[in-house]
Amino acid sequence: MKQKLFLYVLIVLVILTLLTAIVSNSEIDYSKQLIMILSALKFLAVAFYFMELQHSNWFWKVLLVGFLTIFISLVLII
Amino acid sequence: MSTVIQQNNIKNILYPPGGILMWIIIYLELITFGAVLVAMVWYSKDEPELFHESRLQLNTTFGAINTLFLLVSGCFMALTVGALKIYNIPKSKLYLKLTMLGGLLFLGLKTVEYLDKIDAGLTMGYNTFFSFYWMLTLFHVIHVLVGLVILASVLITMTKKPEKLILEDVEASATFWHMCDLIWLLLFPVIYLVF
Repeated sequence: MKQKLFLYVLIVLVILTLLTAIVSNSEIDYSKQLIMILSALKFLAVAFYFMELQHSNWFWKVLLVGFLTIFISLVLII
Repeated sequence: MSTVIQQNNIKNILYPPGGILMWIIIYLELITFGAVLVAMVWYSKDEPELFHESRLQLNTTFGAINTLFLLVSGCFMALTVGALKIYNIPKSKLYLKLTMLGGLLFLGLKTVEYLDKIDAGLTMGYNTFFSFYWMLTLFHVIHVLVGLVILASVLITMTKKPEKLILEDVEASATFWHMCDLIWLLLFPVIYLVF
């Protein structure tokens, strides 16, 4: 059962990577923001599913999401 | 084939998957890489054209393929731990080998990329952008190398002394390997795409 979940997550990650490549090669507005959001989604998918953080204590989840939020915000604001 | 496997209560704050020490290391690593990446973005405001021109000299296709290598490798690592939890050592060994193959492919492509840059004279002292590029990506490559050594030691134990295998050790190794994914997922967009 878990094997299937990991494969589904991998498929989503590959799709997000392809989307990132498409956005980075396009001339659309807010491409920088989109690229960072897509990367954040990949980061969270790896942490929550492959690293099984979704089963852990809320403290670790909040710490990781907090770090990611601060990082993405700083990259986009500066 | 019997294996000594222990399960922790990972809902407990003291027992995150992979162990509390590994997670402290992960946060420290993420903060270190994150701070340097933010510094890179900060410096790019002084020389936006230089950063843009330099970024265009990077091979984004190589970067995207390397992202896929690490993501697939990470998936196999998760499958390795999953197979071990149901005592399926042969499958776990196969998945672990595939995990390591992903890491080796990443390093192979990174070597090609580095050789291209060196041939073009784009070394660490070339400009500010490439100073950050070399510092961040080389530091990440060192992590991947360390990760491969750790996984090789797990594979050796799995092959020669499977009865001495401890799930927590494999989970900690897997967590370190996934950390390499996480760091790359921060490096790739900032260095290769946003400037």
